[in-house]
This record gives sequence, C-alpha cells and structure tokens, in this order.
Amino acid sequence: MATQAHSLSYAGCNFLRQRLVLSTLSGRPVKIRRIRARDDNPGLRDFEASFIRLLDKITNGSRIEINQTGTTLYYQPGLLYGGSVEHDCSVLRSIGYYLEALLCLAPFMKHPLKIVLRGVTNDQVDPSVDVLKATALPLLKQFGIDGESFELKILRRGMPPGGGGEVLFSCPVRKVLKPVQLTDPGKIKRIRGMAYSVRVSPQMANRIVDSARSILNKFIPDIYIYTDHMKGVNSGKSPGFGLSLVAETTNGTFLSAELASNPQGQGAAVLPEDLGRNCAKLLLEEIYRGGCVDSTNQSLVLLLMTLGQQDVSKVLLGPLSPYTIEFLRHLKSFFQVMFKIETKPCGEELKGGDKVLMTCVGIGFSNLSKTLK
Amino acid sequence: GGVVRGKPASPQGGSGQKLESENMVDETSDIETLLKEEEEHKEENSSSMETSGALKWKEDLSRKAAEAFLRQQQAAPNLRKLIYGTVTEDNEDEDGDTLEELGGLFRVSQPDRGCKHKADSLDCSRFLVEAPHDWDLEEVMNSIRDCFVTGKWEDEK
Repeated sequence: MATQAHSLSYAGCNFLRQRLVLSTLSGRPVKIRRIRARDDNPGLRDFEASFIRLLDKITNGSRIEINQTGTTLYYQPGLLYGGSVEHDCSVLRSIGYYLEALLCLAPFMKHPLKIVLRGVTNDQVDPSVDVLKATALPLLKQFGIDGESFELKILRRGMPPGGGGEVLFSCPVRKVLKPVQLTDPGKIKRIRGMAYSVRVSPQMANRIVDSARSILNKFIPDIYIYTDHMKGVNSGKSPGFGLSLVAETTNGTFLSAELASNPQGQGAAVLPEDLGRNCAKLLLEEIYRGGCVDSTNQSLVLLLMTLGQQDVSKVLLGPLSPYTIEFLRHLKSFFQVMFKIETKPCGEELKGGDKVLMTCVGIGFSNLSKTLK
Repeated sequence: GGVVRGKPASPQGGSGQKLESENMVDETSDIETLLKEEEEHKEENSSSMETSGALKWKEDLSRKAAEAFLRQQQAAPNLRKLIYGTVTEDNEDEDGDTLEELGGLFRVSQPDRGCKHKADSLDCSRFLVEAPHDWDLEEVMNSIRDCFVTGKWEDEK
C-alpha cells in the first residue's frame, strides 16, 4: 500500500474538498495540517466531518485519521464503490457543497451511484441544487456521461437554518471520458429560471419573477421563469425564497446566477423585488465574464478534461476564479497535468470581458473497476 | 468542425501576444523617459542648491522607485506563472517562519495576513462579483449585446 512518503501535505481548511476529491481519484493520500489551528474553536467543523463521512460511504477501504483537536487530517483513499447511499448533510452548508464533490467522483464508481442527500437545498453560500442541475449535468453530458439513470431530482426543498430538503442524485459510470472542444459559446437564445418559495406566501415567487424579467427583457424576449412553491413536508423546516437564472446559448453553454433570501433570524428581510433585480444583474455579470462554462463549474470541466482520453481538450473560460486557480495547482500536484493558458482579449466585439482558453492533454484515466467487463 | 474553429484562433493568439510585447516596449520606454527626466531634474537641483547633504537620500528615491517598478514590470508574471509559479506545498517553511521565539520561551503568534487567511478561509467554489457593473447604464448594457442572438452576428455565419 501507499506509504506516508507518497502523500501530499497541505495546511488549513480551505480547498478541503478538492484535495480529498483529487486524492480519491489519484489514489494519493493527503495529510492536511493546521486546520483552523489559530481559531478560538480549532479543528474540523461539523459540515467537514459530514463530508468526510460521505467520502467514507461511497468508497471502500478508505483510512481516515483525525487527531484529537481535529486540526490534522490524514486521508488514505480507498476504491470508489458507489451503489445506493443515503446521507444526512450538515445544515451548516447546503447540499451543493456535497454535490459538487459527488459530481467529480460519481462517473468513476464501481457501481452506479444512487444517492439521497438530506439538508439545505438552497442557501446564500454554495451553488444550489437547482443551479447544479441546470449547469453541471449538461456539462457532464458533453463528456459522454449520459443515460436514463442520469438525474438530479429535488424531492423536498429546505432552506437554512432548519434545512429539511431532500434530493436524489443518480449517475451512470463510464470507463473513459470523451475529450471536448468547447471553444465557441455561441449566442444566448433563451433565459430560464426558477423562483421558489417555501413557508411564505406563494405570491413572493411571482413578485421575484416580475422584477427579474423587467431587467432581462432589455436583452432578449425569450425568458421563462418557473415558480415553485412546495407545501407541507416538502417545504422543509424554515421559511425562505429565492431565484436561480440560467442563460442557454445556441451551442449548449449554460451560464447561471442565483440569490436566496436571508435565513430566518439572520439579517434584514429581503424584498422579493430587490432579490429578483439583483439576481438578474448577477446573471448579466456572469454573461459579461462569459466563456463556455459557468464560473462555478470551471474546476469541474478542468477535472474532466484532465481525466479524459489521451487527446487534446480545449475550453474557453471567463476569468479564472480563485477556487479554480487553486484547483489547477492541485491538478498539477496530483496528476502532473499543466494546462496551456492563453488570454483572449475581447477586442471590438461587444461580448463582455477577456476570456481564457485552456488546453490540456488528458491522462487517459480509466475506471479501474470497469476494465474487466 | 474543430479544425475550422481552431484555425482563426491561432493568428488571433499571435496578435494578442504581439500586442502584449508592444505594450511592454511602450511601458519600458515610458519608464526610460521617466528616468531621464528624473536625471535632468536632479542635475538642475544639484546645480541650484549645491550640496545639501541632508537631503541627499531623497534624491534617489523616485529613481529607485522607477527602477523597482521596471524590475517588477519585467517580472510581471503571465497567468501561467501566476498559477503554476508559486509552490503550494511550502508548509515546512511556513512553520519555520511563524515559530519565532521570544526569550526562548514564548512564541510570537503573528497572523500572517494573506497566506494564513487564505489557508483557513471558506471553501467555496462560487466566484463572487467584487466590483459589479452598473447595469442601468446603456453603455454597460451594450458591452454584452453581442452575447445574445438578438445582437450582431459575425459575417462568417
């Protein structure tokens, strides 16, 4: 088995998920030290412990060691197993926090993953389940991960602080990933959205829709924002409302933005009109950044390109997020893959800011559990 | 499809690079003129005031600043350098740095701003908009017009 010598060592709690995900995919153990070492409340938080438990559930033979204060974590990954799993996520972070990692790992399981996640479906911090469903799933399809069993369903909606939401994610497995050439985003042909409300007047969602439309209509007429008002047990434990918007282009690019109301008991009440307008403006910002992949999914596309067949993959992105920059460094440490990075100035065209063209050759990662079939 | 798309991209990239280097030259010459002006200025100064030793240290300040700026410009990392240039696994050094001992007994605990903050900050993939545009302005709205099917299309299509 792998020894300490082969493990990678990091400090601090930031980027915990990408480190553990890449460790799992590459088989290299990681040691993470000084996790909130100077904090009044040092060590791993509940939501991180829940994340580690989730990793343990979907793998077989992982070894996890945490010191008494929780400031040092050693993780020696096992094999990705999958199958039918249930997990109660911490309500301190939304289900999106957990789902982002699962989207990276699910295509490489031994058995197709079918998981029920419970907790917060929409909050102000992480990408919501709605946005991941609308942007990350079509992205995985570009790499050949598709099929009838590929779905992300919101069974119950849950807002913070109480949570009480429930989603179902199932993903088929693939032996190899197709390389991609995502260099032309095309033009935005329509905007879709989802205005949701739970445990408040259903009228809230309608007020959000009207105000968001008033801004987006100046750009394009084809806008449809669905309203979703879940009731009873399906509406979770806390009141709230919010909006997610997705701009779809002629070439199958999905750019998204979202906003949620303040959690009950935290901050001032948000007017649905303001939320609708601000969210519409956030979508315009995302369109200004542009590229063929939404800014929250930058690291997902770069990972799938890295793991693809030994062929050239290209993707045009907007400015790289700090999260993505760190992810690129991690891809280098775990897989020895470096991207060719070319800045593309926008020039005379009225297409927002400068873009970045990312090119790499896949390492030909294949799902070990599938080779014998 | 990929080949056709690939072709126009490469000359564009080339011109981009050329532009960049021209910019560099521009900046360098700017700084050279700045340095020259500074020298002239200094000469004037010294001739008029003769040797005022007390202020001698000041004379070099802007020159030093300009030189430092020039050095920084030449070392201006491109995106690739920014990403891959820095080593992420520098934990051991950090340890050494932060464990300064006072009188062999106490440790000076300095919150090492940037680096430390980043290490323990929120693990989140969202790319927050730090300086939002004013989308009520016609000019700003026009900056993304051609991203939509309702905007202008390239001739080739």
